[in-house]
Amino acid sequence: MECVVQGIIETQHVEALEILLQGLCGVLKERLRIHEICLKSGPNLGEFMHGCSFRGSTLMTVRHIGGAMRGAGAEQISVLVRTMVESKVSKNVLRLFYALGYKLDHELLRVGFAFHFQRGAQITVTVSSVNKMLKLHATDEAVPVTPGIQMVEVTAPASAENYTEVVSAVSSFCEYLAPLLHLSKPGISTGVVPTAAAAAASLMSDGGGTTL
Amino acid sequence: MPLKWVLHWQPNAGSTVNSQILSEVSQCVESINGLKQGRWKATLTLYKPHTRGVSVPEQPNKYYLIIRGQRIVLEADSSIQTIMEKLQSYKTRLALNFDGFQYQLGDFQLRVGKVSPTHSENLRGIFMEVEYLPISSMEKARQIMGEFLEIWQEAVSKRSLPGQFMHIEPNFAEYGLADHYTSQHTAVQYATVMAQLIATVQAVQSVRN
Repeated sequence: MECVVQGIIETQHVEALEILLQGLCGVLKERLRIHEICLKSGPNLGEFMHGCSFRGSTLMTVRHIGGAMRGAGAEQISVLVRTMVESKVSKNVLRLFYALGYKLDHELLRVGFAFHFQRGAQITVTVSSVNKMLKLHATDEAVPVTPGIQMVEVTAPASAENYTEVVSAVSSFCEYLAPLLHLSKPGISTGVVPTAAAAAASLMSDGGGTTL
Repeated sequence: MPLKWVLHWQPNAGSTVNSQILSEVSQCVESINGLKQGRWKATLTLYKPHTRGVSVPEQPNKYYLIIRGQRIVLEADSSIQTIMEKLQSYKTRLALNFDGFQYQLGDFQLRVGKVSPTHSENLRGIFMEVEYLPISSMEKARQIMGEFLEIWQEAVSKRSLPGQFMHIEPNFAEYGLADHYTSQHTAVQYATVMAQLIATVQAVQSVRN
């Protein structure tokens, strides 16, 4: 299970966001280059597979993203809570899933960085450009899906026993980012925030010393 | 890691495997000075369609998926089992325990035991693992493993049991596996043994019918 919120930010403000995140998290960022391959089989939901190339090594991860929590309680929560299971796998995972009858639905290349830290929950903030490949698996020839815009995702693992605390931790953290971007449940887009330019300028002018 | 050969008991035509044979085989290990060390267990799961999952004790946090028909073996975290269960097209068809004892015999470690469904004590087969500790190269160890197997087969034959141990070595290269032995080699061998056991059980059932 995981808690997820997403938002978008203009690429010109990413450096300011990084300064803010560095100050809030107190950890070093991790560079990301994730080749995300989404498979589907018949009427079933798509199962996502991720490849992460990091510092020259290659890791493959299979992620099964299930249904979101439903009901009146879920609608009142500003964070998406959904089932998610992931497993690190050896490199021939794609061959295996093709042999099981799965087919490629789409693939994306996410390039950016992430911060992993503990703040009421184990939180990961990912900032990345989302790119599409013009040819199958041609990651070197990927082009941005939306030039000038990057995606920000805040995730935290959760369980049935603690998801309310995790939701609270994620929501609280997102408030710190509010001057730069608005984070909401995936699929509910609110666009860029009008205060982003001013907030970014403030962060860049004094390197993050300003409290937003 | 040290290499292994995984063998299965092949009953003679018209005979079946039973606990008496397992008892005789265990005594045979001790008769050649095998030192009993403790219990040992592995689990194999057969998914629909035609996918086998293997967990082995030496890699408690790993799980292996094998599709024999396409010579695919995948090593994954054990959480892949949860993913497989969530993929509604792939239900568990059969789960088998390979359950027995481990013996030390010089540079060899032997594991001998029964094969039974996970929720039943019904003996469906007998397996044996021969592990040679000093070497990881399958080619370099081939001669000594062959010689050990000859000694073992001779010891077993003296008990006049209705069958023999068979070693069917998969073509590891077809699975993309190298000469250096890994847990993926073990998983492929167990998947092969599972296929042989199922074929033997089906052959016995067709004769009865």
